[in-house]
Amino acid sequence: MILVALRGLWGRKTRAILTAISIVLGTAMIAGTFVLRDQITGAFDSIFQTGLEKTDVLASKRTAFTSNNGAQPGPLPASLIGTIAHVDGVAKAEGQIQAAGALVVKGKYAGSSSGAPSLVISSLSDTFNPYTFSAGHAPTASGEVVVNSKLADDKHLTVGQHVQLATAVGLEPVTIVGIFNLGTASSIGGATIVGTTFADAQQWYDRVDQTSTIAVKADPGVSQQQLKQRIIAAVPHFVKVQTGPEAAKEQANQVASGINDFLTPLLLAFAGATVFAGAFIIFNTFSITVAQRSREFALLRTIGASRRQVLRSVLIEALVIGLLASLSGIVVGIGFAKLLDTLFDRSGSGLPTSAITLKPLTIWLPLLVGTLIAMLAAIGPAFRATRVPPIAALREGAELPPSWMARHRGLLASLMGAVGLGLLVDGVFDKGGIVHALFGFGSTPSVLLSMAGGAILCFLAVAMLSSYVVQPLAEVIGVPLGLLIRLGDWIGTQIMRVPGLGRAWYVVRRVVSYVLAFLLFMLLGGIVCGILALISAPLALFGLLVSAALSIYAVFRIWRRTETEWPPERPSPLTSQLARENTARNPARTAVTSSSLMIGVALVVFVAVFVNGFKDSFLGALDNSITSDLIIQSDSFSPIPAEAVPTAQAVPDVQTAAGIQFTEAKINHGGIDTVNGIDPLDFPQLYKFDWQQGGSDALLGHFQGDQALIEEQFAKSHHLKIGQHFQVTSIEGNKLTLKVVGQYKDPVLMTGISIPTSTFSTWTTNSDPGVLLVKFKPGVNLDQGKAEVAAALKQFPVATVRTNAEYKQHTESQVNGFLTFLYVLLAMIGIISLVGIINTLALSVFERTREIGMLRAVGTTRRQLRRMVRYESVITSVIGGLIGVGVGLVFGWILTKGLSDQGIQFSVPVSFIIVVLIVAALAGVLAAILPARRAARLDVLEALQYE
Amino acid sequence: MVVAAHDVTRDYGEGDTIVQALRGVDLEIPPGQFTAVMGPSGSGKSTLMHILAGLDRPTTGSVSIDGQEITAMGDQQLTLLRRRHIGFIFQFFNLLPMLTAEENIVLPLRIAGRDAEPGWVDEVISKVGLSDRRTHRPAELSGGQQQRVAIARGLVTRPTVMFADEPTGNLDSTTSEEILALMREAVESYGQTTVMVTHDARASAMADRILFLADGLIVRDQGRAASEQDVLTAMSEVSGQ
Repeated sequence: MILVALRGLWGRKTRAILTAISIVLGTAMIAGTFVLRDQITGAFDSIFQTGLEKTDVLASKRTAFTSNNGAQPGPLPASLIGTIAHVDGVAKAEGQIQAAGALVVKGKYAGSSSGAPSLVISSLSDTFNPYTFSAGHAPTASGEVVVNSKLADDKHLTVGQHVQLATAVGLEPVTIVGIFNLGTASSIGGATIVGTTFADAQQWYDRVDQTSTIAVKADPGVSQQQLKQRIIAAVPHFVKVQTGPEAAKEQANQVASGINDFLTPLLLAFAGATVFAGAFIIFNTFSITVAQRSREFALLRTIGASRRQVLRSVLIEALVIGLLASLSGIVVGIGFAKLLDTLFDRSGSGLPTSAITLKPLTIWLPLLVGTLIAMLAAIGPAFRATRVPPIAALREGAELPPSWMARHRGLLASLMGAVGLGLLVDGVFDKGGIVHALFGFGSTPSVLLSMAGGAILCFLAVAMLSSYVVQPLAEVIGVPLGLLIRLGDWIGTQIMRVPGLGRAWYVVRRVVSYVLAFLLFMLLGGIVCGILALISAPLALFGLLVSAALSIYAVFRIWRRTETEWPPERPSPLTSQLARENTARNPARTAVTSSSLMIGVALVVFVAVFVNGFKDSFLGALDNSITSDLIIQSDSFSPIPAEAVPTAQAVPDVQTAAGIQFTEAKINHGGIDTVNGIDPLDFPQLYKFDWQQGGSDALLGHFQGDQALIEEQFAKSHHLKIGQHFQVTSIEGNKLTLKVVGQYKDPVLMTGISIPTSTFSTWTTNSDPGVLLVKFKPGVNLDQGKAEVAAALKQFPVATVRTNAEYKQHTESQVNGFLTFLYVLLAMIGIISLVGIINTLALSVFERTREIGMLRAVGTTRRQLRRMVRYESVITSVIGGLIGVGVGLVFGWILTKGLSDQGIQFSVPVSFIIVVLIVAALAGVLAAILPARRAARLDVLEALQYE
Repeated sequence: MVVAAHDVTRDYGEGDTIVQALRGVDLEIPPGQFTAVMGPSGSGKSTLMHILAGLDRPTTGSVSIDGQEITAMGDQQLTLLRRRHIGFIFQFFNLLPMLTAEENIVLPLRIAGRDAEPGWVDEVISKVGLSDRRTHRPAELSGGQQQRVAIARGLVTRPTVMFADEPTGNLDSTTSEEILALMREAVESYGQTTVMVTHDARASAMADRILFLADGLIVRDQGRAASEQDVLTAMSEVSGQ
């Protein structure tokens, strides 16, 4: 039986390959995600190991908690350098300062543009220095700096060049004396690094008599561990002492996990969705082929095969397809990782990646998932194959009795849908309480599991139920489609009436279709060349030439094989009617075919609704609360030097300028939340509080000391009321007991708590403002005022000055960039559903061979036949699109409702949905090309005699 | 002449494995004639019909329908020719399962984007006796009824010539009688030129003219047979040659 299965599979190679593609893409994404994760982790490990290679022990400020948004641990007193230097066994101890800052080259800010930090790090002496200089030397005198080589390359910097450095006290003139690499790395994740002398860094970055870390070298014969213990004994408790390797490991983990904790789950979620959508293709293909092969199964049964053997032969096919597809998926996955890496590189946020290593997980997880999914999807059809009675071998068109599942499909699907929806709602509104109660998982996994499980059940239920709406939907879609076709035909007929123009129109149509075919072939070739380009440019160029030659040859072949379709037939609305009837003929098949597209569209719409909800709530909050004229922020999310506030205030046209400080703090003994530092006098002119529980602007008049204003959500999660006390601990470990004096609502801009600036600045060293708000005097022209402030802030180039409108636009474009990235990931599902529609159409054409023969015999032209297949394809894809839009909106609605107390609002992106539906229809057109061509090219005689 | 074939040959394969299905057939069919083409399997009768109907091309020779030479036509021209001049009745009916009887009948008209002459569709439907079955789908009809739908579908375009390929091959004898009577009726009432390929002597006995094919040649061309027995006798004479 195994032989029969394998032979059968070999006989249907093309089908098997098309089916396999649906698994390949999903497993590729899984494998690629792990490859990329390991590359990033590996790269950071090696960078930090290199950085601390010569450091035996590192002392730094102990932190109270791990910050998620870059709160800095704060400095150590410089006197500790001396203390440590005197510890027995210490050969040398040296301070080093890390701060945020970047060069200004020819008046232009040369900081990181991608969200990676712009760092200033004081250089260490040769004893510790990990840099290898590609040009010049380390800074030795005041005013000398070195830069990392990626920065030097990007900004065309050379040794000896005079530039400026943005510091906490303004711009300082500096000279580049060296260009360095960190080991072999030219950059750390796109970060720019400027090295100064220790003394300069102290002066320029508010670290006089202070240091960020202390690097220690051991005497010969003293181990790192020994030295660490001795230093711990000699320094106060607030100093964290680690050996070089320990510190490297921790720093690498922190940076890598900052990327991986976000990227890995995101990519895996999309990979999962892709695999899930692929399962529908597998299921559909197996369902159709099993139905078409029922004669074959019956024959096997008559000659003595048992049901179990029939079952096994189908499952073996699935196993082989799953295995081969997953293996190819792993290979493609490596390319996928490279592709993502290149994408990040191009977008400026070049992640450092080490050489590709294939860890066991990267191999067996995709293999397991791909194979299991293929087999799971084939189980239903396989059991159906076992129910073919032997007698079917002798009778034509023996119908299988509907299975138990099929008979109870409506009930089953409704039940699944109800459970799925319940899980989803529970996950969103009750933090996954059901999953938590059932399996005892923690809160985050419970939420994720409820939502993922709920979504999967909902998708399955919708896929099963949609067979009931295929017919009405086909009618609904058919009406506008029919009108569109009639319009086209009417135009065509009018053109035909003009002598000569008809022929010209026909020629133009033909030429356009050849050009399109050529472009399509080139696109395929281009994708391959794109992958080749990652390996070598000449190879890609060669590939491009080859694919151009192949494309020309292919188009030439098509041209030679295509017979003239002149004179044209009169248009007939019949083709669209037949297409509609064909779609509704086997509603279950159409439903499943459209399901993978449904899932893709649902996720696209969901993501759009969700992300736009976030964006709208943010922009809405800006509109409602911010009353300033300018919003000034750093594009790399680093703080703005505090000195910038009085500088802006000093501009004559400025009425009020105030900074808002942001940091994270541990609340009582539990969670981490945001603390905002505000100036009680200036702030109300720039920001409108939405007061609750007796809060008022009057309150701000005497807002001081240990008083705190709390946000509604904060009050809820920490059970705090007016008059109560609570404790906040800064990242440096400074404790502060605060008293609640007022409550306001702003879940978007001012989350957590707000305290007076004066209190904030004494409590934490992270006191540079994150945002600067500026309001002009009445009657000041916006553009002119902005220009004045921008000129004044030129010495603080990290601060980007934007009007409120510009700021909103900037936010929008950033959100859109992120959305595009998500859409690219979701495009994988689009490709899979395309393959699914092609597969089903091809199988349907095959099934209807004799019908097609008859249609051709009674006068259907090839063009009419192609149209018929194309309309069927479009109707199928638009059905998927419509249902997907519905599901996506429901999902988006549930989640936005669940997050409504965080200010997220639900809105229907109407124009986006229309675009999505048009794309779905175009996908249908694209999917139909090959099956339609095949149907049109069938030999009439052979088709008529086909059994 | 509505159909004329001159010195038609048709070879399949090449070299050593060449099979000569037709070896030089000359044939003319006048309007209004009901012609039966008989012959044992492999005699080339189906090939002849396919070539006359423009579904297959002769290796050499020429074929014309309604005075138009068709052997040099491209697919598009042939398709348009079939619409206007040719009707088909198949052994396995070949109806579209998702369309009703009436929709199946008017299918060729709709494919051609033509409107039927007023009353003609009703006339054809009542002629084949399906007035009360218009809205039924093929699955709800008996074999005989399905073939009646197919005949009506063939008649509805008033083709220059109707080709029938073993129209009774898939029917029981009583139903076959009815279907043959119906085809005869169409010839009588509408002057419908009909060419029928069959190996059923009873079917041939209904025709105005019987062509006997053997080994790719017309070996006997006779007028109306007096009885089924005459056809069988002629058949055995032909085979005996």
